[in-house]
Amino acid sequence: MPADRSDVLQGTLDLLILQVLAHEPDHGWGLTLKLEQHSDGVLLVNQGSLYPALERLTRTGAIRNEWRVTENNRRARYYLLTPAGRRRLAVERAAWRRASAAVNAILSLAGEAP
Amino acid sequence: MSLFSSLRHRLRAIVSRGQVERDSAEELRFHVDMATRRHEESGLPLGEARRRALAEFGGVAVAAEGVRDERGTRLFEDLKQDTRHAIRQLARSPAFTLVAVLTLALGMGATTAIFSVVDGVLLRPPVLQDADRLVVLWETDRQSGTTREPASWPDYLDYTREARTLKATAAVVGGDVSLTTDEGEPIRASVMAATWGFLDLMGVKPILGRAPAADEDRPGSSLVVMLGERLWRNRFAADPGMLGKTVRLNDEAYTVIGVVPAGIDFGLDQIYARAAYHGPWLGTGDVDAWVSAGQTVGNVPRNSHPAFMLARLADGTSLAAARTELEGLSAGLERAFPENANRGVFMESLMDVTLGPVRPVLMVLLVAVALLLLVACVNVANLLLARGARRLREVAVRVALGAGLGRLARQFMVETVLLTAVGALAGFGLAQFALRALLALAPADIPRLAEVGLDGRVLGVTVLVAVLVGLVFGLVPTLQSFRVDVMSQIKGDTPLAGRPAHTLRNGLVIAELALSVMLVLSAGLLVRSFLNLMSVDPGFRTSGILKAAWLLPPTRYPRDFQRFPNWEPQHRFTNAVIAGAGAIPGVTSVGVAGTHPLDPGFTNSWSIVGREEESRTFPEISVRVVTPGYFKTLGLVTTGGRVFEETDATDAAAVAVINRTAAERFFKNQDPIGQQISWWGIPRRIVGVVQDERIHGLTEAAPPAAYAAYAQAPMQTGVLFVHTEGDPFAVAGQVREAIRTADRQLAVYGVEPLESTLVASVGQRRFAMLVMAVFGVTTLVLALIGIYGVLSYATAQRTREIGIRAALGASRERVVGLVVRQGATMTLAGLALGVAGAFAGSKLLAGLLFGVGRLDGPTYLMVSVAVLGASLLAMWIPAWRAARIAPVEALRRE
Repeated sequence: MPADRSDVLQGTLDLLILQVLAHEPDHGWGLTLKLEQHSDGVLLVNQGSLYPALERLTRTGAIRNEWRVTENNRRARYYLLTPAGRRRLAVERAAWRRASAAVNAILSLAGEAP
Repeated sequence: MSLFSSLRHRLRAIVSRGQVERDSAEELRFHVDMATRRHEESGLPLGEARRRALAEFGGVAVAAEGVRDERGTRLFEDLKQDTRHAIRQLARSPAFTLVAVLTLALGMGATTAIFSVVDGVLLRPPVLQDADRLVVLWETDRQSGTTREPASWPDYLDYTREARTLKATAAVVGGDVSLTTDEGEPIRASVMAATWGFLDLMGVKPILGRAPAADEDRPGSSLVVMLGERLWRNRFAADPGMLGKTVRLNDEAYTVIGVVPAGIDFGLDQIYARAAYHGPWLGTGDVDAWVSAGQTVGNVPRNSHPAFMLARLADGTSLAAARTELEGLSAGLERAFPENANRGVFMESLMDVTLGPVRPVLMVLLVAVALLLLVACVNVANLLLARGARRLREVAVRVALGAGLGRLARQFMVETVLLTAVGALAGFGLAQFALRALLALAPADIPRLAEVGLDGRVLGVTVLVAVLVGLVFGLVPTLQSFRVDVMSQIKGDTPLAGRPAHTLRNGLVIAELALSVMLVLSAGLLVRSFLNLMSVDPGFRTSGILKAAWLLPPTRYPRDFQRFPNWEPQHRFTNAVIAGAGAIPGVTSVGVAGTHPLDPGFTNSWSIVGREEESRTFPEISVRVVTPGYFKTLGLVTTGGRVFEETDATDAAAVAVINRTAAERFFKNQDPIGQQISWWGIPRRIVGVVQDERIHGLTEAAPPAAYAAYAQAPMQTGVLFVHTEGDPFAVAGQVREAIRTADRQLAVYGVEPLESTLVASVGQRRFAMLVMAVFGVTTLVLALIGIYGVLSYATAQRTREIGIRAALGASRERVVGLVVRQGATMTLAGLALGVAGAFAGSKLLAGLLFGVGRLDGPTYLMVSVAVLGASLLAMWIPAWRAARIAPVEALRRE
């Protein structure tokens, strides 16, 4: 449940979804696959936790959705990035860079590789 | 932008909830199916593939719930669910719901209706500008001791010219005319002659046209009239083309120059009502038309007093300062003019004159209705408490199952708000009905009654009250549930009689009872007053008499004072009417008088021939002009001599009849019969003495009065009295016809049984009594419901205890005695408190009582007995139920 996740991870999940959708629209399953493939399975604790995030992003207007038919002739809900979402993505990316740079800086203080 | 899309998203989620849920379910299904297929493709059998897919997914229901949380409609969904649950709960206990809703509806409906009246009459500022700066300038007569008299025209001019503390002045003279236009029947119209500055004084602009100019306000200037708004709308359909048209007032042609808004005659009715005497003015209702005062009374000398003076205080001046100046000025006039001997001035604020008499009644009403609302709220609180106690077990179970106290509190809030909302809605409907009833019953002399309505302000107040009541009541079960001891509730170890809760509930019922006793006592006192009033002998016959009134226009019925009393047209008309009315089948006698019995008419200074010196100290005498048939028609008893006869004709010797008060006061040592009294410069021989008529109304003793024969002293106003064998109203049409036959162009009005006039004269008291009685009975019923509720709840709670007692051998009587004792204690306590409260608060009623003291023993006794009897009835059912409890049933856990 989103409420159990830490704020950092929740915000990060949003960023990742937006980034993936920036490349091309996809449905929830497709997103799951891409996140798994590109991150070696590190990121999604439960696949189901994707959906509340998708709902949140839809509600705030960062993404929108429409029903399409897949190659296998099944109906699926596809998500697309909106212009507002694109702007949000840029903002989140910048924020992430700043945050991770700061974290890295502190971690490297201790003399260990971040 | 994100706010807008978020709103749209939420709206869609609410509106198409079903579809949204189905989409979400389908989406999740798709995901799990694809995940399953992936596992299948890597070689797992279907069952295992699916299991693993679900495990990786992490719980479809949880995900769905998470999505719902993010949808942003959580609160709304919860409230919807709470509402549905609340409706179910309320429907499950219909008796409680019905009683609670009715109680709330009664309380709020009554409050709304009464507040509408008080707002419309007292609180809402009148259409006049700065009405609190307006004053009435009465003249006073030190010799007769009156303080509210009209003024003379020259006095008015002098005050206007000299007064520095007054910014503006105006004078008004009221009258009644027959108004005719080119088409339609003549109607009686009330006309106010006002000085040209009147509209400016009141701070009001005409709706249409213009106010008269100064040079149109002089004797002999052109005749112009302004129509009152209500007449303009009702009779002339608000036609703007009326400007410039001609209307005939008493056969004289007036040009319409404008229309004045309704409400501008604020206070004028009341001025006439409170004046010691005045010219013909029937009052009650709007002024229909406005003409020039200067034309009407501009030539009237200083010893005649037709006009009432109004003024506006100069900026920054106080009433006291203005009073002082005016008193100085009147002293100056008294020195300068012999006609002003013994005359002074009395300045009173217009608001006091208008609203003063009615404030006490309305305040009493407001207090009464506040008490009613209080009682209603207390009852509902009690009902909720009892209900909450019954549901403690349910609450305990829900808490045990994990319901948050916040969620529970919200649910109780929803329940009570729902209850209050329904009650408020029903109350508003009740208020409409109650308001209409109030307005129908209300006496016509309450000012501005026409402006009363259920408006936005009142609705706002009601909603506010409803919301407050709902929120406060919502706390009641919530607080109760906080104190729930979960374990003991579930085990069923209900305490034998929760002490604190009992005290609160009992206290509430006692308070309710006390309040209702206060109201019922007040009602009882008012009822007795009214009955006393109605049993006062008015001195004249009231049943079986129809009256009809008219005003003869001076154009066709000239008032030639050289030829007085030989006014041919007036006598011809009057005789024709008497003959015509007398010919109607069923009519036993007919009489005509200058004014009707309860109209004080006018008073005159007078003297007894031969005792002129002494007569100068006499107060003025009320004069009534009547035809011979009057005495028989109204059943006046002759105590000496004779009454008028046909032989007392116009050219015969002038005669008079006096009433008993006059005889006893002024003829203590001599027989009045044969003596001569003189007024208007004409000596008249007293030929008889009659019983008193209560000229000033039922509540005041009859003043000394003298009667003159109509044939010897004709008047422009006339009232016909027709005594019939059957229902007087049945001959109304024929009476009208008889009058019209005598003069087709004359407006006839006031056609009603004399009884109605009498009842109308005690209108305010009757109104207060009826309202108080309704209130009293309503609150008593509410209080009794309260007693019943508390006792039946207590009995239910103590079922176990009662069962044990019965099993141990207690007789039925003892069990009943238990219940009755509890109820009786509450009743006696409530009664005692209520009586004490009524004691203390009875001062408010003082002005409305008649023939009954504040602390009237019989009334208090009767009410106490009635209340005790009623509460015994309320106790009976629970007591009977208690007695029927079989021990075995009681001991078994329900």
